[in-house]
Amino acid sequence: MLNKRRFAIVSSIGISALLTGCATNAPQDTWQPKGPNSKLIDDLQQPVFAVAGVIGLIVAVAVTYTIIKYRDRGQPIPEQIHGKPALEITLTIIPALILAVVAVFTFGAIFKLAKTDDTEMIINVTGQQWWWEYDYPVQNEYGITQPIITSGQLVMPVGTKVLLRETSRDVIHSYWIPALNGKRDAVPGRVHTLRLEADEPGIYAGQCTEFCGLSHANMRMEAVALSKEDFAKWVANQQAPYVSPAAGTLAKQGEEVFLNQCVRCHQVNGLTRADGTPAIAAPDENVWSGAAPNLSYFMTRNTFAGAMFDLLSKQCRDEVWNAPSDKIGAKYLEGVTEDCLNQKDLRAWLRNAPEVKPMYANPENLAVSNGKYRGMPYLALSEDDISKLVAYLITLK
Amino acid sequence: MFSTGFKYFFGVTVLSVVALIISLAFFDKLALAGVAISFLIGVGALLAGIAAATSDGTTRDANLDTTETTTQSMWPLVTGIGVVFVVLGLVTSSIVTFGGVVVLLAALSEWMVQAWSERASTDSSFNFSVRKRLLNPIEFPVLAAVGLGVVIFMFSRIMLSVDKATGAVLFIVAGALVLVAGALFAARPNMKRSVGASICVLGALGIGAGGIAGAVSGERKDLVEAAAEGHFTHAECGPEKSKYFDKGSEETLSLRSSALATVTYRDGELFVNIQGLKAEQKTLTVPRSNPSNIIFRNETEGKFRLVAHLGGKKDATDKSHSDETCTQLVEFGAEQSLTLNIPKSSGPDNTYYLFIAGAEEKQIAVVVP
Ligand code: HEC
Ligand SMILES: [Cu+2]
Repeated sequence: MLNKRRFAIVSSIGISALLTGCATNAPQDTWQPKGPNSKLIDDLQQPVFAVAGVIGLIVAVAVTYTIIKYRDRGQPIPEQIHGKPALEITLTIIPALILAVVAVFTFGAIFKLAKTDDTEMIINVTGQQWWWEYDYPVQNEYGITQPIITSGQLVMPVGTKVLLRETSRDVIHSYWIPALNGKRDAVPGRVHTLRLEADEPGIYAGQCTEFCGLSHANMRMEAVALSKEDFAKWVANQQAPYVSPAAGTLAKQGEEVFLNQCVRCHQVNGLTRADGTPAIAAPDENVWSGAAPNLSYFMTRNTFAGAMFDLLSKQCRDEVWNAPSDKIGAKYLEGVTEDCLNQKDLRAWLRNAPEVKPMYANPENLAVSNGKYRGMPYLALSEDDISKLVAYLITLK
Repeated sequence: MFSTGFKYFFGVTVLSVVALIISLAFFDKLALAGVAISFLIGVGALLAGIAAATSDGTTRDANLDTTETTTQSMWPLVTGIGVVFVVLGLVTSSIVTFGGVVVLLAALSEWMVQAWSERASTDSSFNFSVRKRLLNPIEFPVLAAVGLGVVIFMFSRIMLSVDKATGAVLFIVAGALVLVAGALFAARPNMKRSVGASICVLGALGIGAGGIAGAVSGERKDLVEAAAEGHFTHAECGPEKSKYFDKGSEETLSLRSSALATVTYRDGELFVNIQGLKAEQKTLTVPRSNPSNIIFRNETEGKFRLVAHLGGKKDATDKSHSDETCTQLVEFGAEQSLTLNIPKSSGPDNTYYLFIAGAEEKQIAVVVP
């Protein structure tokens, strides 16, 4: 009776573990490479897994057979011998040979993944608690004549060898888009490189894989691969000059609120104060990492707050994610329209950010960080101001 | 004879007197220190007198004859020294207080263990071995560390004061002497203790005397000059003055693997090389609010210094208005690093750029997104 129940429990756990492998909606599946770098890893892990599986099977069968065949039926204990040198040496040499073969291919793959001299484009990636910043240094061949800065979603052209140059502003983070390559730590004071290349346009999800504090689990990112033409459009848009909302609109009032409340942390390129001076953000004076997301083209991204929330409503998001690969670029470039905006999460964020994403942003507990926030603080905005801000933010694209 | 308490307070008094004399000789501002130390002398003397007159206020227990097993102790005296240093430090320098506390703690623990071991039995040689067993494992390493520290300190004084060539010779000679002494000890294991001890004492005296002489004569000229020029702080970016810098420290692997870019000064022009970009660039993108290393490489005949202008108004007469940081003078073919940490985005009102000191028209724009 007891044995049967135990068997049932063990086997149901085993079967459910097995069944998780059948999930179709698994954007972070390491077995579905979508670019040459991840394919390189996959080509290595498939045979190694096969070999390991066969060996595992042989061992399991042999152990089971021995357990059953020689189980204690009251027979006398067999004669104890020290062993058979010939057998032992053979059983040492065979695994050593297998490992040596695996090592040769592994080293080959490691060196290929570390190559940087065939790079076609570079993007600086900076981690901080708990979001990723991307800046694109001036690269005229891609039309990037002004550095581009964005966060959460990394936008890159397909079929291009992109080199990420990773670092961190506070603690160690780790950048991982499973469909495109392995992980690479982002370490303060160091620059680590990671190759990324996507074969097809698409959105590839990932998340920080080095424990980095309170909201580590909410520190996500997406890599958006666009066709070369779509990428050029994206680049052009990211350098478009700032257009202030028309006077008298709700958005214009929102700009005022933004200047009063938000500009001390968030930069919007081209935004000027009432007296015409450029509004330069000072996140270094307010945020522990010294940075807050640049919001100049906020509505061209689909996610916010470390890709934790969608900027698009559920339906619009699905339309982008499920678009066929030749349509996804156009869908993505539409950005966030008024109809598609996920008002609920954005308003909740502006109302009280630390409530929806755990952050060290309680003004009373900032002694350890010299009075600086880690994350976005509660700003006690009125619902009125929030509406104005949303109206303003929707113009940022 | 002399009671323990008397020894202690006598120590305090004598040391206070010495401290007073030393203070009078070396410090001009003595009002508070003088009063404090004089007070200490008075109190110490009074208590010493009382202790002597009353034999520490105790009558000995006739049954337990501890007098036989107690030995002469120097710890009360050392404790007194510690107290004096603590008080002296309060009016001079905290280092003196710290030293006093260390002496005090050491003396008190030694004193405690000794007092305890002397009551272990009536056999004084056994008591002595008890004390040894407990304290030697602490005493030997500590004394060895102190001894080594003194040797290193003295030797460093010598090396800092002699010029570079003499330093090398001295180092060779010192090494050879240590080798000879070691060989001698090894070859003659039965050597008389006194001979071995004399060799050690001679060596210690030599190093001590050399060290004091070195400290008195001060550091060698180029070190003093370099320190005065402020080379070690990267403080000054103006007209060229520097002569000395440590090239080796700039060539570490960790720095090279973390460089944002290499800036080269070639044929009178500045170029930027960024890992991953094939073409040489004329702009450098630096992430905001994050220390970023760049490597400056000079490939133009002569010595040049790379300066980063990081905002503020550039004003020829008053440099305080511009934020600048710079490398030292870099020789032809050499490299050096510069760390930039720029907290604000660049914009029309705050532009950042790199330039060669003395040739300000050669610029690399620095953009901070
Ligand atoms: C004290 C600094 C600070 C202030 C003031 C501040 N924010 Fe933030 N904000 C942050 C930080 C830090 C983040 C990133 C938090 C995260 O994702 O973990 C952030 C994130 C955001 C995001 C998400 C951006 C993205 O791309 O992920 C939006 C939108 C935003 N803030 C809007 C505002 C608005 C509107 C205001 C003014 C009412 C404001 N913030 C005021 C620090 C600040
Ligand atoms: Cu992280």
